[in-house]
Amino acid sequence: MSIPNKNSKGEKVFDIFNIILMCVLGIAFIYPVLNVLAISLSGSSPILRGEVTFFPRQLNLGGYRDVFTNKYIWMSYANSIFVAGVGCVLGLIMISLAAYPMAFGDFYGKKIYNYMILFTMWFGGGLIPTYLVMSKLNLVGSHWALIFNFLAPAYYIIVLRSFFVGIPESLIESAKLDGANDLICMIKIVLPLSKPVLATIALWIIVAHWNNFLGPLMYLNDKSKYTLQVILNDIVLQASGALYEISDAVQSGDGVMVVPQQVQNAVIFVSMVPMLIIYPFVQKYFVKGVMIGSIKG
Amino acid sequence: MEVINIKKQKKVDRQKVDLRRVRTKIWADRYMYLMTLPVVVYFLIFKYWPMGWLRIAFYDFKILRGFKGSTFVGLKHFKTFLHNPDFIRIMWNTLYLNILSLIFVFTAPILFALLLNEISKNKFKKVVQTISYLPHFLSMVVVTSMITTFLSPSIGIVNAIIKKFGYETIHFLGRPQYFRPIMLVSGIWQGMGWGSIIYLSALAGIDMEQYEAAVIDGAGRFQQVLYVTIPGIANTIMIMLILQIGNLLSVGFEKVYLLQNAQNIAVSEVLSTYVYKMGIQSSNYSLATAVGLFNAILSLILVLTANRLSAKYSEVSLI
Repeated sequence: MSIPNKNSKGEKVFDIFNIILMCVLGIAFIYPVLNVLAISLSGSSPILRGEVTFFPRQLNLGGYRDVFTNKYIWMSYANSIFVAGVGCVLGLIMISLAAYPMAFGDFYGKKIYNYMILFTMWFGGGLIPTYLVMSKLNLVGSHWALIFNFLAPAYYIIVLRSFFVGIPESLIESAKLDGANDLICMIKIVLPLSKPVLATIALWIIVAHWNNFLGPLMYLNDKSKYTLQVILNDIVLQASGALYEISDAVQSGDGVMVVPQQVQNAVIFVSMVPMLIIYPFVQKYFVKGVMIGSIKG
Repeated sequence: MEVINIKKQKKVDRQKVDLRRVRTKIWADRYMYLMTLPVVVYFLIFKYWPMGWLRIAFYDFKILRGFKGSTFVGLKHFKTFLHNPDFIRIMWNTLYLNILSLIFVFTAPILFALLLNEISKNKFKKVVQTISYLPHFLSMVVVTSMITTFLSPSIGIVNAIIKKFGYETIHFLGRPQYFRPIMLVSGIWQGMGWGSIIYLSALAGIDMEQYEAAVIDGAGRFQQVLYVTIPGIANTIMIMLILQIGNLLSVGFEKVYLLQNAQNIAVSEVLSTYVYKMGIQSSNYSLATAVGLFNAILSLILVLTANRLSAKYSEVSLI
């Protein structure tokens, strides 16, 4: 931060301008999210007149009633949680197993092993060959295609390895003198010391799975398997909510009128909730992880 | 004779010792190998097997007949794609979108970090920073639907403002000339806060003494930024720039695909959406793979070149 020079008038003007600009940007970052929430809670006529901005007008919970009573949305929610959860746990195991030998190993074939992992950062089979392999393995149509496709990205392995490298090797050597093998060293010594970076990677994986759209679009073909992003796309962007028993026309039930925009925004908001809850708490880990990844990677 | 025999014997002994040493070493590392085993199996199946399947780019591949039943056609699919009248357009769309985003989306986080860095109220700074990360956590489907709402001719705030000033409403998403600006503005919105993290941390690492020295030399705020702050993060900017150059041929699939429609297809078709349509939607696996491979090889060349440049100019090699 520069040292302010109190004498200059120009600098004071700049400071005020800067604070105003930052306020405007802050509002711009958060406005679309507030707008989604506001529309999802508003009555139909203010929505259709385009009057809803920051706050709901003519409070109406009909949108959420439709969302919470819809079995497809619940199902997709469960599917998203399954993919993100299983992907995260298995991914962490795999990434740890991959990174430990890279950081502490001195075995025949280590170089080849390193290159085998690193090479996939810059080159890969791409969309279609991967799809064909998944179909050979009978994984198309299954959540496992999504999980396996994103199980141990090389970048995450490198991030973890960079962190492992900072752990003093003497800790491991002394444990080995006490008869511990590498697997035990990893579980008992290295992983407990790596909690912050493991948390970071776990959250990266969760966010990536939660927001993944291309994967489910390619690999899933059954409504009961769809993840949130797929049905979100169908309901909101393709206006084919009818597939999921969500009307695209104005409808009324229990005396409340509900316009499609309201239901759509309710679905959007419901899909965002986990991310909105997670991110303020974990951002410091994320920040740390981004730094490890970019500086040492 | 005997001398030779002894020499031979010694050699054999040494080999035996070497072999034994190798064996003990491998045995000692058995847990290491055990750990690498699932990783190697995973990478072979899910990363390297697909690479082997890249060869369908050189076949007229029929999925039901396998490789044996498919004819080898050499570079036919590459030629088809290169001679496709859409080829230049698709390449240009991909490249142009990336160049524009290099100019606007890449620089936004730098400016944001510099401005945020000039704010002396720490609490305010923290709040703005936290809010600025928010868009990064939203999915492309959500972002696209926000764009749709925002720009909607009937309920969108942008058109409401246009109407207020007495102009005709504009159907932004249906007009091809707005496709790129929409991609860029939403890209800035999504990435500005998140992208600034790395620069803010570089800024925090600049020595305060440098500023003090600059003040003693009579530098004002603006000059401090120019002569201390910006040089302080120049290396980071360079690294990020090089990484970005490596990505010049890859446009994220999801947002483009979601914003694409019949009206803007001429400007919105990029390599990744083309591969998806050819391969997954039309089941033209060979052609799609050829296009994908073409793209992957060009990207690899870009990455390697970028890395060269990086090693040369910033003494940071990324590979």
